Amino acid sequence: MEQILKVEHLEKYYGTRGNVTKAVDDIGFEVQKGEFVGIMGASGSGKTTLLNCLSTIDAATAGHILLEGTDITRLKAKQLSKFRRTKLGFIFQDFNLLDTLTAYENIALALTITGTPASEIDPRVKHVAEELEIGDILAKYPYEISGGQKQRVACARAIVTKPALVLADEPTGALDSKSSRMLLESLETLNDDLQATILMVTHDAFTASYCRRILFLRDGMIFDEIVRGQDTRKQFFSRIIEVQTLMGGDNSNVL
Amino acid sequence: MFSKLALKNVTKSMKDYTVYFLTLMFGVCLFYMFNSLDSQAAMLQISQSQQETLKSLSGIIGYVSIFVSVILGFLVVYANGFLMKRRKKELGVYMTLGMPKGKISFIIILETFLIGLFSLTAGLVAGIFLSQGMSVVTAKLFESNLSKFVFTFSGGAFWKTLVYFGVMFLVVMVFNMMSVSRLKLIDLLSAGHKNEKLRIRRLWISVILFLLSVGCLATSYYLIEKNGIFLINNRFIASLLLGIIGTLLFFLSLSGFLLRVVKSNRKLYFKGLNMFVLRQFNSKINTTFVSVSVICIMLLITIGTLSTGLSVSQVLSKDLRTACPYDVTMMGYPGHQETESGSTVTVVSPDDEKNIDILASLKKAGIDLSQYSDSYAQVKVYEDKTVPYGHFLTKDNWPQIMGEYSEENASSSRMYLIPLSDYNALMKMQGKPSLALASDQYAVNCTYENLIPAYQRAVQNGTAITIDGKKLEPLKTVLSIGYFDSSSGSDIGTLILPDSFFGTKKSAVTYLNLNYRPGTDAETADSSLKSASINSDVFPFACSFVSKKATYERANGSKTIASYLALYIGLVFLIAAAAVLALQQLSESSDNAERYGLLRKLGAEEKTVNRALFTQVGLYFLLPLSLAVIHSAVGIDTVNKALVTVGKMDILGNIIMTASIFVVVYGAYFLATYLGSKSMIRQKEIYRRRE
Repeated sequence: MEQILKVEHLEKYYGTRGNVTKAVDDIGFEVQKGEFVGIMGASGSGKTTLLNCLSTIDAATAGHILLEGTDITRLKAKQLSKFRRTKLGFIFQDFNLLDTLTAYENIALALTITGTPASEIDPRVKHVAEELEIGDILAKYPYEISGGQKQRVACARAIVTKPALVLADEPTGALDSKSSRMLLESLETLNDDLQATILMVTHDAFTASYCRRILFLRDGMIFDEIVRGQDTRKQFFSRIIEVQTLMGGDNSNVL
Repeated sequence: MFSKLALKNVTKSMKDYTVYFLTLMFGVCLFYMFNSLDSQAAMLQISQSQQETLKSLSGIIGYVSIFVSVILGFLVVYANGFLMKRRKKELGVYMTLGMPKGKISFIIILETFLIGLFSLTAGLVAGIFLSQGMSVVTAKLFESNLSKFVFTFSGGAFWKTLVYFGVMFLVVMVFNMMSVSRLKLIDLLSAGHKNEKLRIRRLWISVILFLLSVGCLATSYYLIEKNGIFLINNRFIASLLLGIIGTLLFFLSLSGFLLRVVKSNRKLYFKGLNMFVLRQFNSKINTTFVSVSVICIMLLITIGTLSTGLSVSQVLSKDLRTACPYDVTMMGYPGHQETESGSTVTVVSPDDEKNIDILASLKKAGIDLSQYSDSYAQVKVYEDKTVPYGHFLTKDNWPQIMGEYSEENASSSRMYLIPLSDYNALMKMQGKPSLALASDQYAVNCTYENLIPAYQRAVQNGTAITIDGKKLEPLKTVLSIGYFDSSSGSDIGTLILPDSFFGTKKSAVTYLNLNYRPGTDAETADSSLKSASINSDVFPFACSFVSKKATYERANGSKTIASYLALYIGLVFLIAAAAVLALQQLSESSDNAERYGLLRKLGAEEKTVNRALFTQVGLYFLLPLSLAVIHSAVGIDTVNKALVTVGKMDILGNIIMTASIFVVVYGAYFLATYLGSKSMIRQKEIYRRRE
């Protein structure tokens, strides 16, 4: 298997000398091509900081992040935007679709930013839309479609540029359970059919149960790691709950 | 505590809306400067009549100021509404914290007061200093000198500015209190999430509307071109209405039309952020098209007043040398002489025209012209049995000054005749060689530039005339000697005939032209001759008096008035229009920060994002301006055509001047808006990385 992402001794400190918060404290892991990895942890465990570092939105204090062999902690600002538009796909909690653009145009936007030739845009948008079953709402504006549909449009936008890594930040956070299920199934499809490598941050055990492997963060460090293997989703879900119980969840300091 | 909050809010919004505060300041500054004009007289060496001009100018400016304050008032209320809308969330937070509405009102009122205080103080200080510089300009326009530099301060203008702007801010306070009392918490907290409903969905509707708007505008242009600008009738009103409707439709449909056009070219549409920019533009124009149309019309007024206002005044003062070749002209004609008590006496009946002899009347009254002058001549002008203008002029070159061309008009309006000897007396006065005519020859005199070519063609072709049954051949060149002073017109064509034709004819008008002896005080001489001219004991007929000096000064005065009014109105409209545009864009940019942030997250380069923003802001500034330029091109053309009767306008110079004012003022607003928006959409976390 080809290695897509390698994180080595990543550290991210906030604050000044004497008052330092270690948001990410010496984290290291690898992601292979075609993996669907989840990162779980309570609020304040450092998962969003980790994602921000990975997505180059924030700079790491120390350590290295290698994506397809490139150390992105050493990229210059100009290379960063190029890196983001060619190698990464984003799915945000609050969809982040442009309300002035139709669903079709929202997806096409990611392609126009990468400078894809106009003739290629239409087939690629249509293909991704088909895969995510949103072909019939492409002409609609974001305010005309449901939350689940919006998030699938966002998925399509993230995947249409064929990025090396799709970063999903609480993608089901703003969805009801039915829409969540549909979205996660879509992500699974993307993962299975299109071999998309997905790194998903969530605090929801149900959402995480769709992943193949899960990293648990606590206080900026990797607390545990579990792999789904041959388990059914239900079994995997139980194991996730077990780890969460062990970690103590949000209330560990209260008990 | 609350005052502290208000003060902090003011400083924060000042930073975000510098453009607005600067505009306010500039408005106050202009207001003071123009209203303090009369107090500047202290510095100037000007004559009585110029002082009167200055007085009437400040009178007019007083009235215009009411209008200006209404415009600025609208700007303030509008801008304030914008600021309030932007702060809904903040007010919502106050309310969730349990702050009573009274307290919120108090904070808002305090803020308005602080903003008013700040802009008034800064504007007045700037105005007081800048008005000193304006005296120099005034002196130049009056063609007089600054006697000495005196630091002038106009208390009247000061208080007037305070009261006018004070009232404006009071109105704003009332508006704000009303909007605070209408606040609902639920609306406040979700204020940021409301989507704008698209009013026009279908792009083909935009295309139809766009074509309709072009049709409206074209018809409007056609009507105004045909009708002329000074004739207010149904056609004029129709043109105006169509222009307004066309402008509104144009901006309503433009973005959709553009989108449709660009969309049909996929290469262009899918290039970079084109799609994003067009959609951005399209999404807002539906709610802003009214204000953009109003801005377009305001810009039209600015361009119109600046370029034609100055040109008109130039036309009025231009060619005074040809319009007033003599120091004084007295014109006697049959009619009523107004006495000093205001009643009129008819002295000469039209049948008695022969009696109009200015020189003889002066002599009879014991007024000795030789005390002023030794160069004067009397010219008698005849109308009897002459040829009509239609003999020389055709429909194409018919001067508007004589009304609409018609067959009847062309054959009934008759050319004046002058005896050769009278004409030669004038030539002698002007130091020119005398004219010689054969006994069957006539000459044409015309000082009205635009008609000279037509006459020239006619005499070249040997157009003969018949008077008293006698045929006369033309002199082959058109003469161009003014035979009277006039402040308003020139000679549109007069025939010079040998004296033998005038034996028994009655003169219609008699002119006495006079040049003062060098060293004569023109002002006193003018006034004594003028008082004679209206004295029915001296002249038993109507007499009008025109002096070169007075005409010059009047022309300069009207030039000054027109220039100042054009500048005042033009500048106020310009800054108001630009400020509204800037505010719209700035407030939109703060809404758009999220959108542009997303583009960055998607990996769009800084340069590309900035270019998209530049295009978006640029479109908003450029489009109303472009249409305004097209409108004003038509407008200026019609004004030009209307003024052709008076003289040619030097429009180019003024257009260049207007354009430079635009480049500086409008350009500055554009730049400020772009830079302001850029800093607003910049998301800090992206930059944290490489610091």
